[in-house]
Amino acid sequence: MAFLTWLEATSFGDWARSSLLGYPLLIGAHAIGMSIMVGLALALDMRVLGLFKDIPYTALNRFLGIAWAGFAINFLSGTGLFAMQATTYITDGTFLLKMALVFAGVITAGLLQSAANRSSASWSSSAAPGAIRVVAVVSVVCWVGATVTGRLIAYL
Amino acid sequence: MSTLYDWMTSTWINGLVLDYRWTWPALETLHFLGLCLLIGAVLIMDLRLIGFQRVIPMSAVHGLMPVAIIGFAINLITGVGFLFGDPHLYVINYAFWLKMVLVLLAGLNFLVFLFKVEPSLATLGPGEATPMSAKAVGAASLVFWFGVLTFGRLLPYLGPGGG
Repeated sequence: MAFLTWLEATSFGDWARSSLLGYPLLIGAHAIGMSIMVGLALALDMRVLGLFKDIPYTALNRFLGIAWAGFAINFLSGTGLFAMQATTYITDGTFLLKMALVFAGVITAGLLQSAANRSSASWSSSAAPGAIRVVAVVSVVCWVGATVTGRLIAYL
Repeated sequence: MSTLYDWMTSTWINGLVLDYRWTWPALETLHFLGLCLLIGAVLIMDLRLIGFQRVIPMSAVHGLMPVAIIGFAINLITGVGFLFGDPHLYVINYAFWLKMVLVLLAGLNFLVFLFKVEPSLATLGPGEATPMSAKAVGAASLVFWFGVLTFGRLLPYLGPGGG
């Protein structure tokens, strides 16, 4: 808690709260990063589950590099948003649920990436094997869940 | 202008959006999910047009089109909900009009792609570089859609009553 109080009191936290630009800048970047990370993750999940099978999965997998760039934008902008009200967020159930979903989503993306690197030659033009499809379904649930809970933090 | 406001606020859409506490947050959440579907599909299609991952056949990329269209449809419907729910918030805000112009430009750019550029790509061999027209349409699409997203998200902080 002392750390969170310190985080809020840093000159960055202070700037983000009081400047006219701070919050819009962070929230704008957070929306852009989300669209890249969640949008690409969902498109890849759909492919794993058997949609647009004409696209070779090995090629689509390369877009994950761009997805991680989106994630980096959101890790940074999200840290900034958190610093604005760290002591409030840390007790907010919706925020904590979102963090858990993002964490699980990142794990599914990592799992899919390594599975694709190992074996996608065999399912390059079809749906993926059962176990990998399960990971894709979990991934959809995590990223949709993270987007929903993230948006609703402002209301719950 | 006030007759337009009056008409919008007298419709059943206005009632649906304002009479229930959860309609607005639910519409916002759906608007976010729609934008993720749209941007995800658009990113892959446009980057392929620009020249990224040429091993993907151009015809296969077309398979992502329904995802983009579904995402756009979700956002058109939820967007109409916001506008009819609280027209005063939007009609006087330059960021809203800028966003609408960008949506229009993205739509026109899409038509150029569909009717002018895509037919010319049919003869493109696997791994072959895309023509300049395809790169231009792809780059313009990315600029327009990320502009739409940015001005949409920043709408509450721009224009009169913003902040």
